Amino acid sequence: MQARVLFFGKLKEIAGAPERSVEFRPGETIAELFERCASQKPELAAFRSSVVASRNQEFAPWTTVLASGDEVAFLPPVSGG
Amino acid sequence: MSPVTPTHNDDLVLLGREPISADALVRHVRQSHDGAVVTFDGCVRNHSRGRATLYLEYESYESMAFEKMKEIAASLHTLFAIDSVAIAHRLGRLEIGETSVFIAVSAPHRKAAFEACRHAIDTLKKTVPIWKKEFFADGAIWADGELPPVPAATPAAKPAS
Repeated sequence: MQARVLFFGKLKEIAGAPERSVEFRPGETIAELFERCASQKPELAAFRSSVVASRNQEFAPWTTVLASGDEVAFLPPVSGG
Repeated sequence: MSPVTPTHNDDLVLLGREPISADALVRHVRQSHDGAVVTFDGCVRNHSRGRATLYLEYESYESMAFEKMKEIAASLHTLFAIDSVAIAHRLGRLEIGETSVFIAVSAPHRKAAFEACRHAIDTLKKTVPIWKKEFFADGAIWADGELPPVPAATPAAKPAS
């Protein structure tokens, strides 16, 4: 199973790319997807408590179970306006 | 600016790189049955925490940001006795003094228009996925922001498969 993962703001710079495809196993959650990203880019791990996630463009809790083809974004604190 | 999507009644929501036309947004919401139009003009300030700002760059999760802006416009109609709403946010590089966000709310009476406009900008700054980078003479930083509220986990949050 595969998710499209998007990074924004400071996270995009740390991840080194605005998006990537990440493989995951059935039953995995958004939190586990973040851990998979952080295992490739360890600097990401420090941001776990200061980002929120969205799944298919809706804010979603870390415990959300993923489906193949989901679009998951990791969003730092927003600063529009 | 594009995309341009009518939402509730004659609401207008814009997210794009072109300069915002405040006049056009005010004209859009101002109808003969309105007694008030309240606007918020968010503009690029020349300083941040004691440092001189050179310019700003805004980026967004565009498709989600646009939907969240439409949700804000729609929610104003359920919360306040207003007529119509126009909300525009600009992306890309903005110079000092330029408008980054503009909100116009029309209503038969001023109280609802004031309250709705205030609610709209406060909610936008908390929930719309847009990020601002501040550029100074000696470097750049991502502006401090607010972490959007996330709905609590529910058993229904499982995939259909």
